Amino acid sequence: MPTGTDLPVAQRAVFEGFQHSWLVPLFYVLATVALIIFFYGVYRRVGRYRAGKRATLVRGWPRRIARSLMEVLTSRRIGRRDRYTGVAHAFIFWAFGFLFLGTTTIFLDHDVLGLVAPSLEFWKGAFFLGFSVVMDVSAALFIIGLVMMAVRRAFFSTFRLSYRRVDGKQQDRSAYEREDWWFLGQLLLIGVTGLLLEAFRLIHDHPWFQGYSPVGLAVAKGFEALGMTAPSAGEAHFVTWWVHAFLALTFIAYIPYAKSVHMLASWANAAARDEKAAVVLPTQETGAQTIPLTPIAANLTWKQLLAVDACTKCGRCHEVCPARTSGAPLSPRDLVLDLREFLGGRRGTAAAAQGTLSAAATALRDDGSPLISADVLWSCTTCRACIEVCPVGIEHVPLIVGMRQTLVEEGEMDQNLAQALMNLGRKGNSFGQSERARAKWAEQAGVPIKDARTEHCEYLWFVGDFASYDPRAQRVSQSVARVLHHLGVDFGILFESERNAGNDARRIGEEGLFESLAEKNMKALSQASFDRIFTTDPHSYNTLKNEYPAYGLECEVLHYTQLLQRLAAEGKMQIVAPQDITVTYHDPCYLGRYNRVFDAPRELIRLTGATLLEMPRNREESFCCGAGGGRIFTGDSLYGEKPAESRIREAAGLHGIESFVVACPKDMAMYTDAAKTAGYEQQIAVEDVIFLIERALGIGAKTPEEVNA
Amino acid sequence: MRIAVVMKLVPDVVEELVLSEDGKRLERGDIALKANEFDEQALEQALLLKESSGAELTVIAAETGDVDEMLYTALAKGADRALKLVGDGLQDGIWNAQYAGILVDVIADVGADAVLTGVQANDDLDGQLATWLAAGLGWSFATVVSGVEAAGESLIAKKEFAGGLTANLRLPLPAVLGIQASPEPPRYAPISRVRQIMKTQSLEEREVTAPAGSITVLSLRPPEKTGGAEMIEGDVQAKAARIAEVLAQQGI
Repeated sequence: MPTGTDLPVAQRAVFEGFQHSWLVPLFYVLATVALIIFFYGVYRRVGRYRAGKRATLVRGWPRRIARSLMEVLTSRRIGRRDRYTGVAHAFIFWAFGFLFLGTTTIFLDHDVLGLVAPSLEFWKGAFFLGFSVVMDVSAALFIIGLVMMAVRRAFFSTFRLSYRRVDGKQQDRSAYEREDWWFLGQLLLIGVTGLLLEAFRLIHDHPWFQGYSPVGLAVAKGFEALGMTAPSAGEAHFVTWWVHAFLALTFIAYIPYAKSVHMLASWANAAARDEKAAVVLPTQETGAQTIPLTPIAANLTWKQLLAVDACTKCGRCHEVCPARTSGAPLSPRDLVLDLREFLGGRRGTAAAAQGTLSAAATALRDDGSPLISADVLWSCTTCRACIEVCPVGIEHVPLIVGMRQTLVEEGEMDQNLAQALMNLGRKGNSFGQSERARAKWAEQAGVPIKDARTEHCEYLWFVGDFASYDPRAQRVSQSVARVLHHLGVDFGILFESERNAGNDARRIGEEGLFESLAEKNMKALSQASFDRIFTTDPHSYNTLKNEYPAYGLECEVLHYTQLLQRLAAEGKMQIVAPQDITVTYHDPCYLGRYNRVFDAPRELIRLTGATLLEMPRNREESFCCGAGGGRIFTGDSLYGEKPAESRIREAAGLHGIESFVVACPKDMAMYTDAAKTAGYEQQIAVEDVIFLIERALGIGAKTPEEVNA
Repeated sequence: MRIAVVMKLVPDVVEELVLSEDGKRLERGDIALKANEFDEQALEQALLLKESSGAELTVIAAETGDVDEMLYTALAKGADRALKLVGDGLQDGIWNAQYAGILVDVIADVGADAVLTGVQANDDLDGQLATWLAAGLGWSFATVVSGVEAAGESLIAKKEFAGGLTANLRLPLPAVLGIQASPEPPRYAPISRVRQIMKTQSLEEREVTAPAGSITVLSLRPPEKTGGAEMIEGDVQAKAARIAEVLAQQGI
C-alpha cells in the first residue's frame, strides 16, 4: 500500500457514477417523501399517547434518561438470561447506530456544509479513513447480528417466540411472524447491499486506501476471483446503489408503522419506566384508575399507551409467568398484544378520548365479549416476574390491578375471594376469625410479648394475618418471638388492634378496602409507642414500607430476616449447634423481586452452618409459589398445575436437599401443602429460616422432622 | 312488583358468646352481631329478581343492634330503599313473633307484594320469621326455597324436599318466601361504593313498638362437651390392634 505525503487526500465522491443529472434530485425527492411518511407516523403515535390520561412521572428525568441510555447501549436487559440474543442485538444496535451516524455525517458534510461552507467539509483525509474502517466493520457486525437472529428464529426451538395463545381463543397470528421476518429480512438486505456497494466501488476504483475497508475489500477480491471487472462493477454499483437506497428509505418511512417502532417507543418507555411499578400502586391522587376490560385510549394513561407500543413480542414475560407456566389463561405478552391490537384503530385516538366516536367504535369487540377476560385477570399472582424480565420496561401488574378494580366494582369474582374480602372488611383478617383471637398464638410462644399499645418498645412487630391465624405459620411466629427474646430484642405487638395490612386487598383491586385497612392500622400504630417496625410477612412488609408512607407512616420498616441479619452483624448471634444440613432457599416475590432483599436470609442460613444450594430459578428469577395478589384465596380453579408443586420439584432436582427454607408465612402454608401433594413430604422438610436459627442458637432442639410433624 | 327483603342481626358465633348474669339471655353489649347469612341469600335472590323483572326493592331491618352497615351494604348492592325500624326495647333483641307483629303494618305501608327473608337464623327460638310473617299477613307462602322466578301475577319458587325431590311451586302474589339459597352466591359490595352510598344516601327510619313477647327463656347455657373422637396413633400394626380392641369393646 502506498504511503507518504505525496498521496492524494483520501476521499470519495457522493453519488459516484451517476450519469443522468436528474437522478440525484430524484433521490432527494424520495428521501423527503420517506421522511414525511416517517414523521407522519410518529405524529400519529404521539397523538395516540396524547389521547390518553395524564400521568405524573416520578421526578428524576436526567437519571431516567441516563438509566435507559445505559440499558439500551449495553443491551443489558436483553442479554439477561439470554447471552446469545443480547450479543446479536448489541451487534445490530451498535452497527445500526454507527451506520446511521455515518449516513448523517455524509449528509452534514455534503448537503449542509457543502452548500453553506464548502471550506469546512471534513469528510476526507484521516477522518475519512477512520470513518471508512468503522463503517466497514459495522456493516459486517450488522450482518452477523442479523444472521444470528434469523438462525435463532428459524432453528432454535425458542418457546417464547411461539405466538400460540394460552387462553383458548382462536387467532391467526401468522401476520406477526411475517412482520418479524420482514423486519429481519429488510435490515439484512440493507446490510448486504451496503457491503456489496462498497465491494463494487473498490473493484471499480481501487483507491490507495482500499485497505481501510477490510471486509469490503475481501468481498471485492471474491468477486474479482469470480471474474468481475471494473466496468461491470461500475454497472453493478449503480443498480445496487438504488436498491440499497430504496430499501433504506422504505425502512425509514416504515419505522413508526411496524415492529421497528420499538426503536423509538421502547427507548422512550424504558426512560418512562417506574422502578417502583407494582411495588407502590398509584393512589387516587397519583392517577389511580379503574380500567375497563375493553379500554379505549381515554381509559389508559399516555404511559400505558406508550408501553403497549413498546412491546417487541420478545416473549420473555410469556416464558416466566407462573400463571402461563401453570396452564392458566394469562399470558402477560398476550395481554399487551390484545391491548395494542384493539387500540391500534380508532379506539386509540383523541376522538375516543373526547367521546366523539360512535358507541360502536368504542364499545365492546365485535362478539360482545370483553377484550381482557376476567379469568385472565384473576390468574395473575402479581409476582412481578413479567416486569422484572421485560427488556423495554412494560408494567403489566398495575394494568392488571386497574382492570381487576373494574371486576371488583362489578362483583365479578370467585366466591372464595368474595368471602375473603368480606372477612377482611368485617374482621380485619382473611380467615374470618375473631379479631380477639389474633394474638392467641402468643400464649403458646413460651416467652413474654409486650403490648406495644401500652408499653414503649424499640421494635413494633407487625405480625400479619397468616402468621397470626394459620396454624403452620403460628409456629413461625412463636419461633420468631423466642429467638428475639433470646437475643434480647425489645419488641411488642399490637394484639387485636392489628388488621391485615391490605397489600393483597389492594392487588385484588379492592382499593376501598385497602384504604379502610390502612386507616385502621395507621390509627393503631399512631397510638402505639415504638421506634421501628419489623414484619414476618413479606406482603405486609411491602405495603408498610412502600405504600403506608402515603398514609403517614414515617419509621423504618424491616423484614425479620433483615433485623436478624443486623443482630448477626453486631455479633449477637452465638451459634451453639451448627446445622449440618443441605438446604435450598425460596425467595418470596414480595421480599426479593419487590424489595430486593436477597442476601439477608441467605446470610442467616449460612450463619447456622447449613449448606445452601441454589435452585436454578433464584433471586430476581425466583418462581412464585402462586399465592400472591389474592390468588391464595381463589383456589386452583384457573391453574392446571400448582406453581408451588413445580417449585418443589425444582428443589428436589438438587442433590441432597433436606430442607426447603422459606421466609414467608404464606410460603410455609403453600409449600407444606405442595410437598405433600407432589409426594416429597418424606424427602424434603419445608421450614422457615427461623427454625434453623432457633436450632442453631440452641433454643429449641427441633429437627426438621419434628418441625413438619 | 315491589319486593321487601326482611333482614336481621344474629349473634356472630365466630366470636365468644357471653351470657347475662341471670343466664337467661346473651349479653348483647359483649357479643358481636352480624347479618343473618340466610337473609343475605334472600337479598341476593331479590336482587336477581329485580335484575330479571324490574322490581322495586326495599330492605327492612329492625335496629336490634347496629344495622346501618348492613342496610347501606344492601343499598350498595342495588336495593332501592332501606328502612330502619327504631323503637324502645329493640336493642335487647326481639323474638321472631314480635318482629313479624311489627312488620305486618310496615310491609303494608311499603306496598310490597312479595316478602323475601332467610329460611332460618341461628337465634330462631320461636320458629322461623317467614312462617310468622305469612301467618300475620295471610299471604301465600313457601319456605326452604332455593330459587325464585317472576311469572306475571305470581312467583315460581323452587323448593327441595327430602329424598332429592324438587318441586316448582306457583305462588299467587302477594306471597312470603323463606329463602334457603339464592341461585347465585351473595355478591360482593366494594367498600368504596358502600362508603359512597353512606355519603350520598340516608336510611329511612320508622318508629315502631314491639308487641309483648310470647315465650319466656328459663335458662341458656353453652353446649357441654360430651365424649369426642379418639385419634388412633402409631404404626399400621398398632392402629389395627387398637381398632380391633375398640370394635370388641363396642360388641360390634
